Amino acid sequence: MGWASPRVALPGNPPMDMLASLLHLTPATFWMVSKVVIVFFGVFLLASVWTWVERRGSAMIQDRIGPNRALLFGKWPLLGLSQLAADGIKFFFKEDLVPADANKGLFWLAPFLAFVPALIGFAVIPFGRSFESGGQMYHLSVLDPGNGMGLLYPMAIGGMAVYGVLVAAWSSNNKWSILGGMRASAAMVSYEIGMTLAVVSIFMTTGGYDPSEVIAAQGHLPWAWNIVHQPLGFIVFFTCMFAETNRLPFDFAEGESEIVAGFNTEYGSMKFSLLALAEYSHLMTASALVATLYFGGWQVPFIVNPPVLLSVGCFLAKMLFFAWVFVWIRWTLPRFRYDQLMHLGWKVMLPLSMANLVFHAWRLSQGH
Amino acid sequence: MGVVVKKVELSWLDRTYVWPVMKGMSITFGHFIRQLLTPTSKRFTIQYPEMKKDMPEGYRGLHELKRFEDGAIKCVACFMCQEACPARCISIEAEEFSDLNITQGFEEKRPAKFDIDMLRCIYCGMCEEACPKDAIWLRKDYEVAAYDRLSMQYGKWDLMNTYAEADGKERISQDPTPSVLRRTIAL
Ligand code: SF4
Ligand code: SF4
Repeated sequence: MGWASPRVALPGNPPMDMLASLLHLTPATFWMVSKVVIVFFGVFLLASVWTWVERRGSAMIQDRIGPNRALLFGKWPLLGLSQLAADGIKFFFKEDLVPADANKGLFWLAPFLAFVPALIGFAVIPFGRSFESGGQMYHLSVLDPGNGMGLLYPMAIGGMAVYGVLVAAWSSNNKWSILGGMRASAAMVSYEIGMTLAVVSIFMTTGGYDPSEVIAAQGHLPWAWNIVHQPLGFIVFFTCMFAETNRLPFDFAEGESEIVAGFNTEYGSMKFSLLALAEYSHLMTASALVATLYFGGWQVPFIVNPPVLLSVGCFLAKMLFFAWVFVWIRWTLPRFRYDQLMHLGWKVMLPLSMANLVFHAWRLSQGH
Repeated sequence: MGVVVKKVELSWLDRTYVWPVMKGMSITFGHFIRQLLTPTSKRFTIQYPEMKKDMPEGYRGLHELKRFEDGAIKCVACFMCQEACPARCISIEAEEFSDLNITQGFEEKRPAKFDIDMLRCIYCGMCEEACPKDAIWLRKDYEVAAYDRLSMQYGKWDLMNTYAEADGKERISQDPTPSVLRRTIAL
């Protein structure tokens, strides 16, 4: 263990144990609960901060200034971060309108159906090095490795996310919404396959599908990471992630220049805000997946067994970098046409990921 | 006549799509960094209440009734501007007065009332063109707004003081020329 670890208040250390006993929990349960809170609250927080990054970042890219007028307590603009609080308050106090012909129950359910999968996809991703303390292993991921689901879990959950969009679209009984929902489900079907095949070739070279195995197999040397071995797979996976998270250049579900606001045309107030947050949480989960699969997860370049906090920091840096790339690409590329998306999905991404799979299978058979 | 549309032949590098995307991303990132490092005061956006746009030469904004050195109004109430105004928003009432100040002659004419309805004014500058005395000018001030309609009816003293305010001069509410009033003429 590195030099920093004794100073870190980690479970197994007296303060955490004391806190656990105060709450009448065993240290293991306490650890579990705090992990859940840290991960989900952290992703939620990052997602809302990312709405700020998106707005300020896009402003900078387009030579604008972005939101900088909201003042916290009438004093601090905090580089526009106060806008977050202002928006939150505004969304809470807006009239919560449900269209008369909407399916009320589903209309209410849809934002949660979108939000929850986006958030829980994060559960298996290790955000730091596992460590041993007091004779017990502690893993920095909500679900410990070896749970049998591994990376299949975020894939499956990611596929679930489209239900939120689809239900939102269908229940609001609006033609624009239906068009948006239909586009989202079609995009999901055509991109899921390419994406999954790209990931399968990683499972193949790793010899397992547990995220900790994938990370361990990549090691601490940057040129041993999957991005170097499978650049093609990375391109396919990353592109499909844009379709998966419904973001530009593939944001057909929303497509505000064509179908008003797509699936969330009828949504307002906090429900809309929840849908927007779902998109950003999904973006966070997607960038965490990219970092885990192709950039060595929490591995710190050139440091074997890094201190736990350093590994967490490194994972965060990688994840936030990719989250920034999502924003960056959004403000660089225009939206594709719908048939171009289908063309790209079925005739380019799918063959590419298949070629990638076959190539790595061949390499494995050659004993590499 | 039809136009022959030339099809652009893309090189194989451009057709991969990945390379052009990277080029595009480098452009947007360049903008991002440049804008990030530019201090707020030098950015393109003029942040209005704190920063104001420097209007170009010849901009036509709020009117000003010019004064002489001693503060007396230059306008001689000749009604030229009132006639020239296409929006019919100037209304003048003239008065005759005996000026005891030698510099301005003895018998004089000046506006008793000089009202401009700023809600109807189209800032065309015709009044400025028409004035033989250069007594009415359009300033560069563009913040002509008020909370009610009545505040947009500018009177003689308001118009004379738009000038004082912008140049940091003393506001006046009385003609400094000692005078004996004869009669008032309304057109
Ligand atoms: S600017 Fe034009 S409209 Fe306005 S008062 Fe002068 S002449 Fe009339
Ligand atoms: S402002 Fe000029 S044109 Fe108008 S009445 Fe006075 S002197 Fe005549």
